[in-house]
Amino acid sequence: MTRPEMSPYATVMDDGQLTGHPIVFAGQGPYGGDLEVEEPLVTGGKTWADVDRDICMHTEQFPTKRWWIAFAVALTALGVGTFAILTLFYSGMGILGINTPVGWGSFIINFVFWIGIGHAGTLISAVLYLFRQQWRTGINRAAEAMTLFAVACAGIFPIIHLGRPWFAYWLVPYPNARGPLWVNFNSPLAWDIFAISTYGLVSLTFWYVGLLPDLATVRDRATHPWRRKIYNALSFGWTGSHRAWRHYESAYMILAAFATPLVFSVHTIVSFDFATSILPGWHTTIFPPYFVIGAIFSGFAMVITLMTFMRGYFGLKNYITTNHMEAMAKILMLTGMLVGFAYSTEFFMAWYSGSEWEGFIFKNRAFGPYGWAYAVMFTCNAIVPQLFWWKKMRRNTWALFVVSILVNVGMWFERFVIVVTSLHRDFLPSSWGMYALTRWDYAILIGSFGLFFTLFLLFVRVLPVIAISEVKGVMDPKVARSAPTDAARAGAARSQEV
Amino acid sequence: MMPTSTKGILGHFCEPDEALAAAAKVRDAGWKHFDFLTPFPIHGMEEAMGQKRSWIPYVTAGLAVCGILFAQGLQNYVMVFDWPMNFGGKPHAAWPAFIPITFEAMVFWAALGTALVAIIAGKRDTVPQPPPMVIQTGATIDRFVLWISATDPKWNPEEATAFLRSIGAQGVRLVDAEGGAHA
Repeated sequence: MTRPEMSPYATVMDDGQLTGHPIVFAGQGPYGGDLEVEEPLVTGGKTWADVDRDICMHTEQFPTKRWWIAFAVALTALGVGTFAILTLFYSGMGILGINTPVGWGSFIINFVFWIGIGHAGTLISAVLYLFRQQWRTGINRAAEAMTLFAVACAGIFPIIHLGRPWFAYWLVPYPNARGPLWVNFNSPLAWDIFAISTYGLVSLTFWYVGLLPDLATVRDRATHPWRRKIYNALSFGWTGSHRAWRHYESAYMILAAFATPLVFSVHTIVSFDFATSILPGWHTTIFPPYFVIGAIFSGFAMVITLMTFMRGYFGLKNYITTNHMEAMAKILMLTGMLVGFAYSTEFFMAWYSGSEWEGFIFKNRAFGPYGWAYAVMFTCNAIVPQLFWWKKMRRNTWALFVVSILVNVGMWFERFVIVVTSLHRDFLPSSWGMYALTRWDYAILIGSFGLFFTLFLLFVRVLPVIAISEVKGVMDPKVARSAPTDAARAGAARSQEV
Repeated sequence: MMPTSTKGILGHFCEPDEALAAAAKVRDAGWKHFDFLTPFPIHGMEEAMGQKRSWIPYVTAGLAVCGILFAQGLQNYVMVFDWPMNFGGKPHAAWPAFIPITFEAMVFWAALGTALVAIIAGKRDTVPQPPPMVIQTGATIDRFVLWISATDPKWNPEEATAFLRSIGAQGVRLVDAEGGAHA
């Protein structure tokens, strides 16, 4: 195949020049036809050394005013939530909106919501890796960090929902002096402990393994000896040796291969919390795939929200390009339609099953007192993403941002609808009730967002927000190589060339 | 002046393709204790360096089996032998209910163990004398650095220098223990 003399990638100097279509070289194809080349994943004619500078820069300078403002807001929200949780511990569960019959309230809603957010990170890092989607390199680091922080937020809710959270360690099966009294391994709630903790730790491992070469890059750029020492220890003294890369690549592939079924299993097990019960509206076999796809959907929405900020404020538009955003918009639309399909299937099955209880619950869901929540859910999740049939919309930052926020709202309401509408009208009309969040419920929800953004803002200060070594691997060497003139630059000050 | 404590020699390349071609030449010339330090992994480098595939997958398989055995052992021990309880007349050894935790335990053992073993393997699987850490090789930035350790059976400073130049390496230099370089 004849390749154009000059790299086509050198010509795309700016994010605005990307079209989302291949670059065409007339008559340069293998048999005299046109040669079509994919647009570059990194624009701006960046060299490998530029990548280091552009990405590590944010960990090396004093935070900007905007960062401090964002951090102050996030920390305030976290403070509000912490105060509410301490009040909850002091006063007991009575300050919350949960009641009889709605014994599961905002905590379970928030738990499922945050676990769902986390799923996109693993999907991007593992599933897209196995499918060789090279655009993932621009966003996987931040998306994986998002996963970890979302799992941290999610993990808090079941614990504070226990009523006596100081006994949370009873959830762990270990030989103890209480009998020994073990957990019930037949219970999906016990499966959840294993699923969530495995998910959290494996995601952390996967993320950290991905970080190793980049931590070495930060180390090699460091000027302060302590900074050098800390990042050297964090990277386990990574040198870039190909004897190490050999094992590293093998391990990374294996981790991706394990994380892929893991991400599907986790939300499946979360859905078992509902599906193994015998309540109408919960007791359905569609729940596992429905939850998993909803999780990926909401997670991608959160990734789009975060990336919109990140590429703007950190000047990373050359690395997280409009093409990356468009790819995410496509996944958002696909998963949105799958979620809409699941909603419709549920309704169909409620009618087709002929079960009176199932039929009642679904009529009540859509047209009962919580019909407004169902409408919010259906509109935001199944209808709004249809906007992305238009390429213009997929490439419009504002459209992406607004849709991603609406999807997050919609997905929170999806969990609200699932949890509340199946509970609030019990089998006996004498046991019917209504559920509303109290100010403490809201405060703890706000607090979880505070925790999430506090952690994310700290992350962007201390670690490379883009997987440097992976981005370097997908760049065109003809553009990215060091210029011959500065060939001696990287040589140590202490050494001299032969 | 001939250094008394020469650790090895290094030279660099600017593109992955050059590095790949060079690695094959080093391998064919019979050098054994050599390594390439690169900013990102290069496809085909294992073969070009004459190395076998990583043995990590076997470790993973072993760990995965350990995870399965651990989870099955724990659940059956607890639910059947140590504290059997009657849940709605269902069997004590309710194996379908044990599947989720078995799966999670398998992933947990395999993933964490693989990462740990890979990091340790990466640290241990080096040439006998890796380049001293004080050297800024640029291998984490944009250099594809070839390192030949002085422990190589073929080692001879003049020959090594000439050889590195002949395969097109830039910035060829001999390195001593303190990281200082010599002509």
